[in-house]
Amino acid sequence: MAHFCQTSNWVLQTSMKTYKIFYPILHLHKLPTVFGCLLSTTLSWSAKPMDPKAICKESPWLKSREKEDNLRQSRAEKDYFSPRPFNVFAAGASKRRATTQDTLTDVKKSISSKKAILCPPEKPLSVEEWAKMVEEYGEIRKFEELMLEQMIAHHSPIDVAKSLLVAVADREGDIGYSLLVKYLALCVSHKEVEEIYDILDIMKTRYKVLETSAYGLLIRGLSHSQRWKEALLLLEEIKKVMTPTKGNYGDCIKGALFNQDLSLAGELFNEMVAKNLVPTLDTIQAFFDFGKSVMDDHWKTKIIHILTYLRDNQVYPGEAQMQSINQWFESLPGENWKGNLTTIKNSGQCPSCNRFLENIDLSPEEYNILKERIIKDVIQGRDTFRKTTPEELEEFQAFVNKRPPFDIVIDGLNVAKVSARHNSSQILLDVVLCLAKHNLRLLVLGRKHMLKGSRDWDRRNMAIMQKKADFFFTENVSEDDPFLLYATLHSGSHCKFVTRDLLRDHKACLPDSLTRRLFFKWQRGHQMVLSDYVPGKRIKFEPVLNYDTIVQTTGSTWHIPYDDSLLKRSSYEVPTKWLCLQQK
Amino acid sequence: MNIFNKHLFHAVRRLAFSSAVQDVIKRRLFFMKPCKVVTCRTFVLSPLLNKDSSSASEKLDLDGWKHVMRSVPQEETSEETSGDDSDSNLAATRELIEMWRLLGKAVPEHISEEQFKTLMEYPTKTSKRKYLKFLAIKERVKRTQKEKQEKQKQVREEEKRKAYENNSSEPRNTFLMKFWSRSEDTFFHWRAAQSMIFGHPLVFDMAYENYMSPREMENAVKQMMESEGINRKAMDPFHLHYCNLKTDGPYHKMFIKRYGEAWDKLFVTVTEKSHVEVFPQDQLVYLTADSPNIMKTFEHDKIYIIGSLVDKSIQKGISLAQAKRLNLATARLPLDQYLEWEEGAKNLTLDQMMAILTTLRDTGDWMKALQFVPKRKHSGFVDPALYSKHQFTIGKKMKMTDQGKACNQFAKNSFTRQIQRKWWED
Repeated sequence: MAHFCQTSNWVLQTSMKTYKIFYPILHLHKLPTVFGCLLSTTLSWSAKPMDPKAICKESPWLKSREKEDNLRQSRAEKDYFSPRPFNVFAAGASKRRATTQDTLTDVKKSISSKKAILCPPEKPLSVEEWAKMVEEYGEIRKFEELMLEQMIAHHSPIDVAKSLLVAVADREGDIGYSLLVKYLALCVSHKEVEEIYDILDIMKTRYKVLETSAYGLLIRGLSHSQRWKEALLLLEEIKKVMTPTKGNYGDCIKGALFNQDLSLAGELFNEMVAKNLVPTLDTIQAFFDFGKSVMDDHWKTKIIHILTYLRDNQVYPGEAQMQSINQWFESLPGENWKGNLTTIKNSGQCPSCNRFLENIDLSPEEYNILKERIIKDVIQGRDTFRKTTPEELEEFQAFVNKRPPFDIVIDGLNVAKVSARHNSSQILLDVVLCLAKHNLRLLVLGRKHMLKGSRDWDRRNMAIMQKKADFFFTENVSEDDPFLLYATLHSGSHCKFVTRDLLRDHKACLPDSLTRRLFFKWQRGHQMVLSDYVPGKRIKFEPVLNYDTIVQTTGSTWHIPYDDSLLKRSSYEVPTKWLCLQQK
Repeated sequence: MNIFNKHLFHAVRRLAFSSAVQDVIKRRLFFMKPCKVVTCRTFVLSPLLNKDSSSASEKLDLDGWKHVMRSVPQEETSEETSGDDSDSNLAATRELIEMWRLLGKAVPEHISEEQFKTLMEYPTKTSKRKYLKFLAIKERVKRTQKEKQEKQKQVREEEKRKAYENNSSEPRNTFLMKFWSRSEDTFFHWRAAQSMIFGHPLVFDMAYENYMSPREMENAVKQMMESEGINRKAMDPFHLHYCNLKTDGPYHKMFIKRYGEAWDKLFVTVTEKSHVEVFPQDQLVYLTADSPNIMKTFEHDKIYIIGSLVDKSIQKGISLAQAKRLNLATARLPLDQYLEWEEGAKNLTLDQMMAILTTLRDTGDWMKALQFVPKRKHSGFVDPALYSKHQFTIGKKMKMTDQGKACNQFAKNSFTRQIQRKWWED
């Protein structure tokens, strides 16, 4: 009996051993993606950054994913606790606020993919095998299209897709347009140039015109090939019916750059900008990447032109683009550019070159434009009654005109509601007293209900405050923010305002992006945000930055703000990281 | 011990080996059989054995579809592009739509000239695509409806035929006259006519024509028609006033288009005048979701105004601005007080407002009236215990603020209740 037991045990062990061999093989499947990840991360860091943190990032080969997550977390935490560049308009600030507010409701989203039922085969199947599979999934209506979509998602080899097309052609004697376009998408993702040529020819013979998505794919596929000129013809085709997308233009530009047609790339860029399309960051990067191999003054001015485009439209490059820009500058012969990655001090001084950045103040003309627009579009709008009444507006204007300019305008209700734990009028009183100590002329805006006297709005507190500052109370149904903006703008550019509101809805009332940008710049330079409040002890405002976050140059230096690839930036925030380029 | 172990090991190994050999033999035997019958065995095995030859043979196979595609002639497109530039542009757009349809995008099969014109008027790509999607869905709904109707028709005819075959052609005999919907209509019209004389007025303010897109306009008119229908069927209809309705304005045109001849026979008062000219100002109450005041009860001596506006974009406070301008009292429905609101805007459609006001006037019960608020927007009524407490606090507040007015029944009720309570406490 014992004998038998042992044998069975032995058999079991050996079988375990043999099976074990298979495990690593299974793991091998995942390898290519991991390698891909590492490659991309290391590539983007190949330029030598000054930051020591960044250097140590180069070393870890293993557990890259984990490390990245940790890094992200530690960076976020550090930023939160370090008070230095923290500002409501700094990139990632809103996200940080959101996470600190509700850490309990931490999102653990499990990605459930319902479409994963259809799994594309790994090898080409015969017509019969496909027929069998169709039968198996009998309840799915558009089996072939779904299957091709899955192939695109799984990045399957094109032979598999081909075999599917063979099966379809065998069954129906024809292949539908939508299948063909999906196959084209697969070919483009694999960069199978020959196949793309074939499809283009087939499509040309079969259909008189195509539609936008096929054109887009063909342009993308052709732009890197020998027949890149045909991509331009296709672009013309699109133009007949619609404005091409920025992606279409981007692909054509890349095609032209790869094939050394610089003037054409420049023309396309200008055309695109003229059509109010914002070029993708990829396109911009292509200019710089390509520019390294061309040493031509004409080309250099073109690149500088692109940088001024970034400046004028407040486009911030990403980390990868920043590296390209850096490399382009450093490759300029005889000019000896040196690039450093830095963050700017609150004073606006760059720690790397000790120069001061551009001031954030608006020019007088800009200031006047903004003031007029605010009155016209934000306060009055289409209908003055929506936000206030004409009488009230008049009353307020008279009120402001009678008094000398203010130094600080306070949004009373916003400040008072900073903390729910403390009495509203007490908070407001503390803030007013704190600011009044510095001998500043204050204006507090509020609503009439504050005067009524209630638990929240103590009459005595209100009386003390009214001695220290000017007050204006709007109707309870009126909005107070427009008055805040008006009063601040009216007082002049030295005047600041206090509110935690990001004023996004008011920014949205402005008609065009230029004024919106002006508004945002003015807001960044004039808004004070109460960041820390302990009653009776501490009142702290976030520092108002006096430098402008924008691509800028002094001739011998360039300062280029860029987006950290780990930090997600909202549209109402600006990057905090900079590339400082200086000539030595 | 060691030797014994070794022997054991060998014995076991031999045993296992012999069994394995047997296994192989068995398997081979098993394999032999089918290979005799099926000749395609080599075909199956070949891709596993030698890859080169297989890939070559497969490659020939894999590109086969291209020849198929090339052999099929080009699809006939009958449209000729004329020399006119705008014409060719239009034709190109039509072709583009056709190709989109082939791709499986949501675009309609047929587009009328009028629809095409509106399509071309849309300024952006997204708006065009959205309009096409709208048309496609409309087309599909219409088609399915038609199919359904056809089916029903067939079924009905079938039944008719069967009845005809089975039962002789004798018509049914009954002593009651059939109640036609025509007589129902007459009945409703009588009541509507009565309401024109004695009914409680309800005003629709039609001054928002300029704030709406054509689509919103269509929806608004649809909702107006719906609410008019609800009113007509009510026990005691309101006397509807369509104020600020400009003759030949977009609203007027749309009404005539939708109602046809019935527009002139409608039992509503249509006027170009503003509601402030028709009614005394102190009686008017503008209903708007932006109002700071909460409506407590239906006051029978007040005239309520509903702004006839469909606002799909977010235009805050339009109707409140309108009320402010004319210095009218405003009110909003006590949605938060009675419902556990979950999602969606607090502004309701016109027909929902109509149904709520009608029930509220007839019953005075908010629970019943607010049944007409779409169920998806709330998760149910507030707990009844809380609800009564709420009513109490509302009453208390009213006492503090509206003591001078104190005209409605509800306030009086709570007021007396409070007095009673005080008396009890004393």
